[in-house]
Amino acid sequence: MRPFAYSRPETIEEAIALLDSDARLLAGGTDLLTLMKGDIVAPAHLVDLKRLPDLDDVIDLEEGTVSIGALSTLAQLETDPLIAMHLPALAQAAAVAATPQLRNMATIGGNVLQRPRCWYFRNDDVHCWLKGGEECFAREGDNRYHAVFGESRCVAVHPSDLASVLVAYGATVHYRDSGGVQQIGIEDFFSPPTEGRRTEHVLPAEAVITRVTVPMTADGARSRYVKAMDRKVWAFALAGAAAVVVVDEGVVRDARIVLSGVATVPWRARAAEQALIGATAGPEAFAQAAEIAAADAVPLAHNGYKVPLVTAMVRRALAEAGV
Amino acid sequence: MTTLKITKGEEKGKLQLEEQEPEMAAWGTDAALAVVGQRHPRLEAIEKVTGRAQYSSDVRLPRQLYATVLRSPHPHATVAAIDIAAAEVLPGVHAVICAENTEPIPWYHGSFVFDRTVRLIGDEVAAVAAESEEIAADALRLIEVTYEPLTHVVSMDAAQAPGAPKVRDEGNVAGEPKVYSRGDPDEGLRQAEVMIDRTYTTQSALHNSLEPHGCTAAWDGQTLTLWDSTQSIFTVREQVAQALGLPEHRVRVIKQHMGGGFGAKQISWKQDVIAALLAQRSGRPVQLMLDREAENLVVGNRPVSRQRVRLGATRDGTLTAIDADITQGIGAYMTGGEASNVSGMYQTLYRCDNVRTVQTPLYTNLNPGVAFRAPGHVEAAWALEQAMDELARELGIDPIELRLRNYSETEQLEEKPYTLPEGLRLSYERVREAFGWDTRERPAGEGRVRRGVGFAAHDWVGGSGSPPGYAWIELNADGTADVVTGTQDIGTGTRTGLAQVAAEELGLPLEDVSLHLGDTSTGPYSPVSSGSATQATLGPAIRAAAIEVRSQLLQIASTAMEIPVPRLSVRQGKVLVDGDERRSTPVKEIMRQVAPHTLHGQGARGANPTEKVARTFGAQIVELEVDTETGEVTVLRVVTAHDCGRIVNPTMVDSQVIGGITQGIGFALTEERVVDDRLGLVLNANMEEYKVPTIADVPPIEHAAVDVPDPEANPTGAKGIGEPPLVPTAPAIANAVFDAVGIRVLDAPISRHRLLDLLTTQREHAS
Repeated sequence: MRPFAYSRPETIEEAIALLDSDARLLAGGTDLLTLMKGDIVAPAHLVDLKRLPDLDDVIDLEEGTVSIGALSTLAQLETDPLIAMHLPALAQAAAVAATPQLRNMATIGGNVLQRPRCWYFRNDDVHCWLKGGEECFAREGDNRYHAVFGESRCVAVHPSDLASVLVAYGATVHYRDSGGVQQIGIEDFFSPPTEGRRTEHVLPAEAVITRVTVPMTADGARSRYVKAMDRKVWAFALAGAAAVVVVDEGVVRDARIVLSGVATVPWRARAAEQALIGATAGPEAFAQAAEIAAADAVPLAHNGYKVPLVTAMVRRALAEAGV
Repeated sequence: MTTLKITKGEEKGKLQLEEQEPEMAAWGTDAALAVVGQRHPRLEAIEKVTGRAQYSSDVRLPRQLYATVLRSPHPHATVAAIDIAAAEVLPGVHAVICAENTEPIPWYHGSFVFDRTVRLIGDEVAAVAAESEEIAADALRLIEVTYEPLTHVVSMDAAQAPGAPKVRDEGNVAGEPKVYSRGDPDEGLRQAEVMIDRTYTTQSALHNSLEPHGCTAAWDGQTLTLWDSTQSIFTVREQVAQALGLPEHRVRVIKQHMGGGFGAKQISWKQDVIAALLAQRSGRPVQLMLDREAENLVVGNRPVSRQRVRLGATRDGTLTAIDADITQGIGAYMTGGEASNVSGMYQTLYRCDNVRTVQTPLYTNLNPGVAFRAPGHVEAAWALEQAMDELARELGIDPIELRLRNYSETEQLEEKPYTLPEGLRLSYERVREAFGWDTRERPAGEGRVRRGVGFAAHDWVGGSGSPPGYAWIELNADGTADVVTGTQDIGTGTRTGLAQVAAEELGLPLEDVSLHLGDTSTGPYSPVSSGSATQATLGPAIRAAAIEVRSQLLQIASTAMEIPVPRLSVRQGKVLVDGDERRSTPVKEIMRQVAPHTLHGQGARGANPTEKVARTFGAQIVELEVDTETGEVTVLRVVTAHDCGRIVNPTMVDSQVIGGITQGIGFALTEERVVDDRLGLVLNANMEEYKVPTIADVPPIEHAAVDVPDPEANPTGAKGIGEPPLVPTAPAIANAVFDAVGIRVLDAPISRHRLLDLLTTQREHAS
């Protein structure tokens, strides 16, 4: 790890004032410290948010939404009764992420900002496109863990399980910058990296996430997150699926299906959602939607297995949510 | 007393020396033993669970520096120039070494500690000692190296291709292919009524010991002390002394507690010499521990293999031929230690008159291969035991029955009987019964989740002991004993098992015995802890030393108690009188009468039997489920039985069984070094992407202990168990996967993506 300056500001305004392109925010540190130790990033300045009075880890109900303080840990999301009652898929996603030790440290604010686990990106000897280079080495290299959807120059997949669930629930990210309090819908928050912005989100560098709000689901809504891993626990998703379905009198009235581990951002399976809406909830419709969810996948040389896996995950998420 | 038998050796300039053990009755089936055979936690358990046990990275010496190594970012290059000037003047830096400012020290075969040619990503280019690891890392970034890249090869196919870049000047075949043949294999294949002809591959597995390689080096005048994470303090002493031009008695190597080695620590690696040189330059102690990435890039791995296997058999299941053509990718260098002998199991596990093996090692621009828990046999078992399973199905014969029909009671390389010829048969019987093999339910076969069972057997060349090895015992004036050997406890429980042997023969309770090991300056020579041999090598030496001490004790007791020696014995700290319980006298009371004299014994491990061959065997059954939709394999149950001779401590043996099978599950399902061919880069040299099993991946493991003494192997009747449990796990899992879904997975590991691809292909063929 390279030398860096460290500060612990007293107010959020002070924190924002300290931010520039050489500074990074530190909360749980579970991603940032591994990036620094791996010499993938070398910020000159770390701004510690953990004791900022304006930030909290409170999970609360506010006017039809669940408000989650940015410093809420994954362990909290896994065990909080409000989350279990209103956003069960979020608790499920937290429970299958990382390890208990990591979940005790990792925050929801950091989770949505974490960088991909691509083994080229994470190797300090490889100067890939995402790190400002010219080439995506995974595209022609070993891409077994890489994307099957999307058209980014980068084929790394987004590592977050929670992110897919937040997209499925239609969450909003609240943040502060020098202009004051801002908010952005989570689907707009995640955005494939571009030539000019090689990150997986659009949050400005001089901003601090304060909380994430999630609208409470409609009556009759059911949700589920499932994930396939290389081993039983402690691995990033080979493919995951978040499903939120509203079933009324046996008919699907609304559906959100969002995939993990298959694109540079959480991937919404819109065609599958459309196929499901209006259909009779049941194995047949779920199987059909699951096929559609994977239909336009374009696998790379080594990740063709993700196509049937997406189908399996979507079918399972729907089956387990929709009954 | 040890007597010596000295004969002219076959090799010129070599004598053959055998230490002859004193007369002792081997501990056979009827031996009445009090301490040996009992469960006992590790003697150092409290130190370990309270964090007080000192591992290599815990060493803290006054003024100690920390070192780190600059490693090549190129898989193959010439080092044209190195500029260390800026690093040397960084505050806190005390020494910087590289090829420019050190004498060339030969290392590996035909290379140097700092070579002008680097042959893999991770090869050592320079090293820095500084007041902290952080300063050392900062200094590395100030070293400027000019590389002239060369073309590289990382796959076996690329290494064998015409016109392939040469990893070494002599070409990409490392030495001569090893060819073995008996009988007429071609004729055997012609006579076969059924033939299996398959090509299997195994991956490179990384040892990933919790404790990485590393050491602390300190000079005291002319003497170098190394606290080293090693399986062989005497091998490190010899190699380091040779590299630095020191006499062996000026090098002291210490290893007290070990966080795993699994074969990768059988030899000295470059960091031992680098730390010693940095300590010399700086005049201060230097600690050099490898980080996880270096651990996985440069200090060994299980070599990849490709094995074309042909089995011929008659309709009744008699093998007519076994033919294996084996290629291995051994990385850029030949290392020492146990060879990964993939051929061995083909030659010995089953009775067959016509056998041929050809084993061709290939150089590639990668981490050199080194022994990994049952080297060669794990690779061979993956192929041979799947081929046997296929043969059994082809013939419609139960897989255990097929193996019984090809049972060998002799070691077929030397055509000598095994010391315990029923060892493998007993393993079959125990595992079959404990699993309920004959009454198992047939899997349903239709649903999304399918269940299967798989069987695999193995033999292992190790476990029988490797003389020489020595031990000393001092019986103290208070009736306690210090037992000293120069072996090391690599985490297997050696300290405890050997102390049990000493306590048994001395007639003392275990708590009255201290076992000292892991220090070349205080203990007599012992061999490398490898080949599952340590208990079987040193147990008899300790028995011999204890017999000498006990005999002296009984002479003293005889005088003190005025009873002739033949009526006396020692047990549980008391001298007992035959026929008169009331006269039994504590050992300490006898010893008090001669204090401050103490009693001394020394023992040597005698030669292994010459007319018979001692080996270890085992058999395993796995039950699992396969989710046909997601490719997920869930291992439900593993039952295993092993002939490891007498079990000295069931707790330690069970621990080896659990650890070995856990590694076997990893090898079967998730563990695989992944390399980018174009870049020559290992993509998962870390614990995140290199996936060892977690506790959630490991099912209940049932050890159906065989526990039959093998007194003809050595006088303790105990053999080894460290390596064997891992050997049959992966093929048993592969056979169970076939049983569940009808897919034969030829390439290890059975990862999610591989199995899903195969399931998809199967589905496409069906429709």
